[in-house]
Amino acid sequence: MNNVTRRGFLGLAGVAGAAGLSACAGTGTSATSNQGGDGNTLEFWSNHPGNSKPVEQELIAAFQKANPGITVKLVDAGKNYEEVAQKFNGALVGGTLPDLVVVSDVTWFNFALNKQLTPLDDLMTTAKVDPSDYVDALYGDYLFDGGHFALPYSRSTPLFYYNKEIWSKAGLEDRGPKTWDEFKEWSEALKAAAGNGKFAMELPDGSNYLDWHFQNMAWGYGGGYSQEWTPTFTAEGTVKAGQYLQDIAKAGVVKFNATPEADFSAGLAGCILQSTGSLGGIAKDAKFEVGTAFLPGEGNCPTGGAGLGIPANISDERKANALKLAEFITNAENTVTFTQATGYMPVRKSAVELPAEKEYLAKNPNAKTAIDQLPQTRSQDNARVLLPGGGARIGKGLDQVAQGQDVATVFAGLDKESQQVFDNQIKSKL
Amino acid sequence: MPPTSTTQPDVARGGTTGPPEPVGPPPRRSSGRAWEWSLAALLLAPNLVLLIVFTYRPLLDNIRLSFTDWNISAPVANPVGFANYVEWFGREDTRTVLGNTLVFTVATVGISMGLGLGLAILLDQRLRGRNLVRSAVFAPFVISGAAVGVAFQFVFDPSFGLVRDLLARIGVEAPDFYQRSGWALFMVTFTYIWKNLGYTFVIYLAALQGRRADLDEAAEIDGASPWTHFRKVLLPQLRPTTFFLSITVLLSSVQVFDIINVMTRGGPVGDGTMTLVYQVYRETFVNQRAGYGATVATVMFLILLVVTVVQVRIMDKGQRS
Repeated sequence: MNNVTRRGFLGLAGVAGAAGLSACAGTGTSATSNQGGDGNTLEFWSNHPGNSKPVEQELIAAFQKANPGITVKLVDAGKNYEEVAQKFNGALVGGTLPDLVVVSDVTWFNFALNKQLTPLDDLMTTAKVDPSDYVDALYGDYLFDGGHFALPYSRSTPLFYYNKEIWSKAGLEDRGPKTWDEFKEWSEALKAAAGNGKFAMELPDGSNYLDWHFQNMAWGYGGGYSQEWTPTFTAEGTVKAGQYLQDIAKAGVVKFNATPEADFSAGLAGCILQSTGSLGGIAKDAKFEVGTAFLPGEGNCPTGGAGLGIPANISDERKANALKLAEFITNAENTVTFTQATGYMPVRKSAVELPAEKEYLAKNPNAKTAIDQLPQTRSQDNARVLLPGGGARIGKGLDQVAQGQDVATVFAGLDKESQQVFDNQIKSKL
Repeated sequence: MPPTSTTQPDVARGGTTGPPEPVGPPPRRSSGRAWEWSLAALLLAPNLVLLIVFTYRPLLDNIRLSFTDWNISAPVANPVGFANYVEWFGREDTRTVLGNTLVFTVATVGISMGLGLGLAILLDQRLRGRNLVRSAVFAPFVISGAAVGVAFQFVFDPSFGLVRDLLARIGVEAPDFYQRSGWALFMVTFTYIWKNLGYTFVIYLAALQGRRADLDEAAEIDGASPWTHFRKVLLPQLRPTTFFLSITVLLSSVQVFDIINVMTRGGPVGDGTMTLVYQVYRETFVNQRAGYGATVATVMFLILLVVTVVQVRIMDKGQRS
């Protein structure tokens, strides 16, 4: 037997230590116990969507003033919705749960499915909060198994932004296209008007929510990602929409980019599809007149953004006070304050009747487009927002389509993968 | 040869036939050894406890989770045997992920060590302003990966980026680094090397400054060419440093996450820059399959373990020869 030398021992110890460090630290799977805590000191976990930290602080100060004895701590829980979800998952495994947490259109469902969020309906009845004033499409997004698992907060939809100078140069009417086919008819004129090295349109790529915008194209051609839980990527309309995307990419009409709003603001693209939440930034940066329009098609605009959820495993007192905070932040007056500061949409029907909002919309017609589009919105298909990893999966497929791979083959793969995810991760829990 | 130990009872010489004398070192030495062991244990214990609690226990827990279907938000995990492993080895994207990891790792380890050594040799010379240059080379290493990623997003931006501008000056159209998988991998690799070059540079520079001056003088007297001097005098002295760097740079390269997350999120086309560690993140937090993510982490652990053991063996063999 070889003697173990000191160098050998240290080497092996180093190997073991280094290799150990390389492994992901598993977190364990103990069930989260019911957490007590002080119901009068609330933690609100937010990623401050749309750079909203100052306005969130302002609203919290107003809440504390209106509710003496309750203190709210605003916690930076990440730079985007996914990071907030990661932090919340960490807390579920063994940390301290928040009282109120921002949950996005794609993150809330997994928490609800695993019984980690509280259905709010009973709490709202007890607290005499009337849900009928919330915009139906936005509130309805959080419905699962007969309960609503969040209140709409930083909600947005995609919007069609266009450069009025390029539009005018192309001899087009001052409006967005009514259908995607009409846009295709305009595309050559737009390309010529945009000029060399510029594009008629830019879209985000598959890593940056192309799947959200393509939902509109798929619906526009009579397809979609799924009917309830059944994937419909291979439906005729969806494939047709995919072919359309590929055609305009091949023709050099559209360019895919991580941040199309930056190019658009710099005058490098004739139009883009982007969130209503980008309106403030684009209006500030663009040196030309910006036009906004509904997405092409009627009733084909997907909703998006985030809501406010309450963890399931906290005390009833904490839940009641958390609901009080959520309701306050999203009441008519405060949703107006929040949305005017950020570009998101008011989540209360009565908000648009308030004088402050009427005055704001009169001065900002582009913001009014987003609100006028609300009746045209639909909740997104389950395959994108409710299936785990749906957005990333579809985004990858759309990148492949945009780069020239066969649409039918790519979409058949998406169909198969989505069905597998449903069968393996969702079906047994419904 | 007769035993020489004075502690053995010498029966043949008519020594005592009673109970044998205690075997071993004299009492005073024995107490010294015990003290040494106690001191060693005392000094090692805090680190050992930390290693066990924060490294080995999570490691074992991770391996346990890799045999479950744990959804990151679920309170329970069901055992699934080797199903996750079978799936990983059978999936189409596994080859892409392994390929990306291999290319990224080999390029970052090889290039950052080669360039680090070259710069260290250059800046070991008596040059004007060398301290300033040394600081400049090392500075990126202390900047966070996320910040570097954001900065280099602008460098490689297809519309406004520095690279696009520089290439345009010589009449070359810049590739779209964000939409083409090969170029995207090049982009994150370049960025990572830029950020970490200072580390290999500083370690090599320290090693060069601690080398034996008499060997340099001997080589000079013998009329060795610069190449011979480098190959026969410098490199052998730098071997322990090279070994150390090859392990530490390899481990940090395989685990790079921040730059990829900021610049490409593993894309384009879903997995254009997807490495093993990013796949762990994607599966665990995006696809919510923490059990499967643990499987990928375990595979990564095993690969690194094998590679590191091979490195240690090669180093030992080199030293013995």
